[in-house]
Amino acid sequence: MISFLHSFQSEWLKKQNSLASWLVLVGGFFTPIIIIIARLINYKKLPAIYENDFFWSQLWQSSWESMAIFLLPMGVILATSLISQIEYKNNTWKQLHSLPLTFTTIFFSKLVVILVMVLQFFIFFNIGIFLSGLIPYFIISGVPYPKNPIPFLTIFKEDLYFFVDCLPIIALQYLICLQFKNFLIPIGIGFGLWVASLSALSWKFGYFIPYTYSILNFLKTQDYNKAAIPGMNIHYLAICYFILFTMLSYFLYINKKEKG
Amino acid sequence: MYCLETTNLVHQFSDNEIVLNDINLKVAEGSIYGFLGPNGSGKTTTLRLLLGLLKKQQGSITIFGEPFENNRVKILSKIGSLIESPSIYGHLTAYENLDLLQKIYQCPKSRILEVLSLVGLSNTGGKKTRQFSLGMKQRLSIAVALLHHPNLLILDEPTNGLDPNGIIEIRALLTKLNQENGITIIISSHLLAEIEKLVTHIGIINKGEMMFQGTLDELRNKQNELLFISIETNENESVIEMLSKEGIHSKIEGAKIFIPVIPKDKIAKIIQQLVNNNIEVYEVSIVKNDLETIFMNLINNL
Repeated sequence: MISFLHSFQSEWLKKQNSLASWLVLVGGFFTPIIIIIARLINYKKLPAIYENDFFWSQLWQSSWESMAIFLLPMGVILATSLISQIEYKNNTWKQLHSLPLTFTTIFFSKLVVILVMVLQFFIFFNIGIFLSGLIPYFIISGVPYPKNPIPFLTIFKEDLYFFVDCLPIIALQYLICLQFKNFLIPIGIGFGLWVASLSALSWKFGYFIPYTYSILNFLKTQDYNKAAIPGMNIHYLAICYFILFTMLSYFLYINKKEKG
Repeated sequence: MYCLETTNLVHQFSDNEIVLNDINLKVAEGSIYGFLGPNGSGKTTTLRLLLGLLKKQQGSITIFGEPFENNRVKILSKIGSLIESPSIYGHLTAYENLDLLQKIYQCPKSRILEVLSLVGLSNTGGKKTRQFSLGMKQRLSIAVALLHHPNLLILDEPTNGLDPNGIIEIRALLTKLNQENGITIIISSHLLAEIEKLVTHIGIINKGEMMFQGTLDELRNKQNELLFISIETNENESVIEMLSKEGIHSKIEGAKIFIPVIPKDKIAKIIQQLVNNNIEVYEVSIVKNDLETIFMNLINNL
């Protein structure tokens, strides 16, 4: 366990100043910044928006729209690929595999770093959402402070669902990245599966595509005509896919004949 | 006692391509073992097997007296390595590169500055390593290998990319580490001249087979065994016949006849006989094989 912590610390340091860490920061604040800019441009409509009884819920929904459908799946695909690419790009797999660490420790510490990075992304995104609610209030005079309290519990629950929903993407992308040196292969496969997910939204068995869950989770409360929302709990399915892909990825990684 | 020993190590990438055949390395504790061979001879494959970077197919590897397979983590904690090109993170500084390894090895933080100073990279500050020259990257890779005070260093062509001064400095550093700290070093190269001044033992590999293994002195003795006298005349065929009658084995290469070294009085007698038989003698000289020639002969199966 101690060697796992040391390995995690080491992996965490590796991502400093890397493209993946910048992606998490920029990706987390991208949508909130767009919302702030849009609201400042249309500042005349702000008093009415801020007086709405469901201000925070509506802000949260509009922030998640592009995030759940496009930015989250694509961001996760990119971030996972970039983390694995650090070793390929720097020719460091051989160095990493010559360290006194079990292959299991190396495999899981990298995976946990990716998971923590996605959590970090969620934290940045939520901070961004709150700031996108507060900044126009502070800048534009005459805008009232929203009456209703921030629904922390609902937000936390929905965030947790979205996090669980992107776990299959993380696990499958991680599996592909560990098998292919070429950066374009995991990105290409990831993008292809995302497009397939969008195309299959209205199909009754579309939910079997492991990249659909964050989109379905968002659409379940929106327009039901756009997607065939399954009767079963997609979050459980996401967890099952995550476990399956992680086990398969671990098996393939451990049995690799060449490790650098 | 051997610090590292392999027995009947065989490796093949495909059914038709045997890259290592029956490799029996014996690296004595406290030695500097030069692992020599031309490009593609199997040096790097052997070293990758020693570090577990390739899955072993046949044979056994024992390091520090223990089988590598069952004690991988324990053994690797005492090994520092540099395989082929430098393995460093380009988006980090030299200090950060060592810092992330310090987390694994749990050696004192002060050791980072020590090794940076040892390889002459103390003043690189906030410069990202992607901006380093190849020589600087190579030095940093050596610092990485030394960070945790290893007992065994496995270095694959560590002086690649270094300028002549850098090569001399690294050579001096490795000698110092070996003599003062007793670190066993395996260093591979395709140039004998590059490591001749450094090593105590040599293993020569070619086309996946060991051609020689022993101390540098044993290789030098081979040098004495391989001394020749060359004779150039206008009638080489007659000379060979005459030498044969004297019981001297000879061979012709180009315009010259080569015979093993014989006593001076016997040489004088042969020259006398040649002159008496009206054979014109243009040159009689001793051909001394240097280590490089022996190495070349070994890898060319001469």
